[in-house]
Amino acid sequence: MREATSARVAHLLRENGFSAYVIVGGLAGWRKAGLPMEVVPAGELVQLPTFG
Amino acid sequence: MSGILHALARHGYLSLAVLVFLESVGMPVPAALALAAAGAAAATGLLNPLTAIAVALAAIICGDTILFFVGRTTGWLLLGILCRLSANPESCILLSAESFYKRGRLTLVVAKFIPGINTMAPPLAGSMKMRLRQFLWLDAAGASLYVLAYGVTGYVFSDFLAMLTRGAETASRTLAWLVALAIVVYAVYHAVLYWKHRVYRVVPRVQADEVVRRMTEDAAAIMIADVRSHGYYDAGSERIRGSLRLEPNKLPQALQDLPRDKEIYLYCT
Repeated sequence: MREATSARVAHLLRENGFSAYVIVGGLAGWRKAGLPMEVVPAGELVQLPTFG
Repeated sequence: MSGILHALARHGYLSLAVLVFLESVGMPVPAALALAAAGAAAATGLLNPLTAIAVALAAIICGDTILFFVGRTTGWLLLGILCRLSANPESCILLSAESFYKRGRLTLVVAKFIPGINTMAPPLAGSMKMRLRQFLWLDAAGASLYVLAYGVTGYVFSDFLAMLTRGAETASRTLAWLVALAIVVYAVYHAVLYWKHRVYRVVPRVQADEVVRRMTEDAAAIMIADVRSHGYYDAGSERIRGSLRLEPNKLPQALQDLPRDKEIYLYCT
């Protein structure tokens, strides 16, 4: 199912009284529509172990 | 299945190379059978054992190295895609990465004997930036073990070919049933997911350009939240401008900090 994670989280948020919405098409749709993006700041990246 | 044996007898080294290469890049080809057949062919003098070993090793290492570079250039993408099937993608990625980091070297050596892992290990080593030279050593060790194990088996058991041909026919029937079963399980799994997710379909959906319109109207009244479970591993990854990360796993804690007076727009991949 498309937008599965956002739909699940939005449902949970709504149950807790937040006004949550799902963006149709997710990040892929946003990118395709040529809407503004940004590079994730280095500080927010999750470090996974590497052999390097 | 016995077609493989005939091909092997006729085209010798070439068909051996093609079969083990195809398996090393993830095709469901019975390469172990081809190696055993090559071993038997070597025992009867049809193939030169040393040439056969060299050909098989070169083909396997070649295929594995291709996958290694696929992993290296796509970063964590591959692991992300595989983990999307699991119940908890985020911890799937973290645990797989950590486990491969701890046992990756050994995994590369024994991977050939374990279906599934044999295709995953080289690209994972690439994703995790293993040095090419180290990868090649470990992979060569693994490939040698694999080639020798099956080649020697074929070489030692003289009537192995006949036995294999009979066994292979049973095996291919079993395989067909397994594939059918897998398709059924997959369909049921998705039906259950669909049923479980029916409640989520009532969540209001908003078009992307509508979100942009709201943003330009009153930026302070909205928040855009990124709930992707991956996308935060590779340097240079992108997200929607101005969005904040909301980890689905840490939702209970995050509920305290989320604004109650804003419209929250969520997106995943």
